[in-house]
Amino acid sequence: MSQIPEPFKVAVIGCGGIANEHLPFLASSLLVKLVGVCDISNATAAFAKKRFEAERSFTDASEMLAKTSPDVVHVLTPPQSHTHLVSMCLNSGAHVICEKPMTSSASETASLLALAKEKGKILIESRNLLFNDIVLKMDQLISNGTLGQVREIDLLLALDLNAGPFGDLNLEGPGVDLPGGAVHDFLPHLAYLFLHFSDFGCPVDDVCGRFENRSGNARVGFDHIDALVTAGHCRGRLRIASDIKPDMFRLIVRGTRAMVETDFYNPFMRIQISSDSGKMAPIEQVRSGMKLARSGFANLRDKVMQHGTYHGLPRMLEAVYEGLHAGRQLPIVPADIVATAELVDRLVNLRNAR
Amino acid sequence: MKILVTGASGFLGRAVVRAAAAAGHDVCALVRPIADISNFTWPDTVEILRGDLRQKGGWSSRIDVDAVVHLAAAPSGDLTTQFAGTVQATENLLESLDLQSLQRFVHVSSFSVYDFAAVPLNGLVDETTPIEPIPDARDAYTITKIAQECLVKDTCSLAGTSCVILRPGAIYGPEKSWDFGRALSTSSFDFIFAPNATFALTYVDNCSEAIVKAVTAPSVSGTILNIVDDNLPTFRQFYDACRSAGAPTGRPVHVPWILLSALGLGVRLLNSVAFHNRAKLPEFLSYRRQQARWKPRTYNNALAKAELGWVPTIGLSEGAFLMIGLGQFMHAEGISVETRPNDS
Repeated sequence: MSQIPEPFKVAVIGCGGIANEHLPFLASSLLVKLVGVCDISNATAAFAKKRFEAERSFTDASEMLAKTSPDVVHVLTPPQSHTHLVSMCLNSGAHVICEKPMTSSASETASLLALAKEKGKILIESRNLLFNDIVLKMDQLISNGTLGQVREIDLLLALDLNAGPFGDLNLEGPGVDLPGGAVHDFLPHLAYLFLHFSDFGCPVDDVCGRFENRSGNARVGFDHIDALVTAGHCRGRLRIASDIKPDMFRLIVRGTRAMVETDFYNPFMRIQISSDSGKMAPIEQVRSGMKLARSGFANLRDKVMQHGTYHGLPRMLEAVYEGLHAGRQLPIVPADIVATAELVDRLVNLRNAR
Repeated sequence: MKILVTGASGFLGRAVVRAAAAAGHDVCALVRPIADISNFTWPDTVEILRGDLRQKGGWSSRIDVDAVVHLAAAPSGDLTTQFAGTVQATENLLESLDLQSLQRFVHVSSFSVYDFAAVPLNGLVDETTPIEPIPDARDAYTITKIAQECLVKDTCSLAGTSCVILRPGAIYGPEKSWDFGRALSTSSFDFIFAPNATFALTYVDNCSEAIVKAVTAPSVSGTILNIVDDNLPTFRQFYDACRSAGAPTGRPVHVPWILLSALGLGVRLLNSVAFHNRAKLPEFLSYRRQQARWKPRTYNNALAKAELGWVPTIGLSEGAFLMIGLGQFMHAEGISVETRPNDS
């Protein structure tokens, strides 16, 4: 019978939006004990403390680190504050789990990872989508040879970045203080998904495309990217579009034997193995249609059961904490974090291309 | 008295600014930076302050008032959005005020903070009704309005500021019809849930008048007052009044409370047994939320009337006419709903 390990003392900096995805796990997992929550808004910190039964709440991160001595800190603030806060946490002797993007450039990310190594601590950038049900199923299709060798990865995030707080002209300053504006905030998802399916080991060769502000909304910074990426035998098209509907986060992976398609917002999995022509094609279409109908019911169940786009996040955190407890390699490693940041850098640099 | 009205460009805010100015107060209307106020018919004496409470900015250093009427809130969106627009906004406002010198802080809360499950069938909801103990079982609006009210109460209490909390029922008027009392509708049918249950309504101008009276009422500091009109209608009566006033309605289908609650209880049992209460259900299937909206009960406004010297003057038929008939006429003529006959 396995023994329940001593829980890690965990603290959270930043109790806004994404914290509502981290905190339910931290409040319920036996692997951790939530010793502190911190936000510059006292009302927000106090609300999070009460709702998620944290031991204490703070408005000053350094005070929280000093008074609670956490083993692990989740840094969940806006990206422009990450470098300072992550450094502070590492220097205080805590492991850090940071929301994406960890920094505004690959060189900053590499510096933080170097600091973590120097301090003998773990530093992880979140990549929750890799732990979603549908990605895990796609991983199986690749590992069991159903898709053959992956050759193409298409990613399309259709979401109006101007409609949310990033583009809200009632608020002052930039929506997100990153070189690539609002698009930059979402790029790590696209980058790590591309690198995951193209096999992280293969370096990125070419990146080309357009990185634009199509809406004219100055606060959003940039709201559009359409990029082509090649890495060894793999090629990809990575897009974020604010001016098309419906909202979707579509992923298509094409291999030498078959293709698979899904959407993170309303997950389905359409696998196409045989040709679009020939006698069997209609039967294949009917089969796909039936699978799509089944996915509709599954999505309805997921909505009711609150199994949303972030459902991979607690699974990711559980894997990280189990790895920390067992002292084994974590599911997210520094080399992958740097590779993701370097691809994001190259994509963001497209804003200068004309 | 100089009054700051937050949320001034909203549905209730516009009426409060008008009522406060009509009562002889100097009004400073806080409106969002890009709010279009060009068609508002406020008196020229109303001072416009541009700013967004979600973010401390230029507005926060320019507040010099005797009293505050705090209406600003985010009534829709996810929890993060509503928390920012309701709770963080209130925190920023309170931090920007000189609370010691403020003569009165009137906070406009909501009926949604009450624990309606604790009220027996046909029981009375008044200011002593407990607060919802499980806001997560309701919705983001309830969660954030309770947090906002606690923040105001605690901060004003700590600073020794005279504070009045008003909890209006459903505020109706031009642009806010509560879908004429319908719970659901199709192209042909209108489903009226709990048709004989009382609808806790207040007409927007009645409510505004109560709010303005609360600014100067002498002995209400530290009190909570429910704001609902006299002679409250049932859901069926409200629907019929809207229909008589010209609301575009279909064929009504009445779903009695006993049937609705049986459905809610059945779904609750299923959720408990099959899903360990993890299922998030729509309002009409969630028993706790059903109770909040449709469970038959009674209300009274005696305390507000006594403390504020307030008498709601616009009744249901006039209110429905102003909301629908006059609203349609003005819309057709391109006249702002701000321009009421008695304003000219």
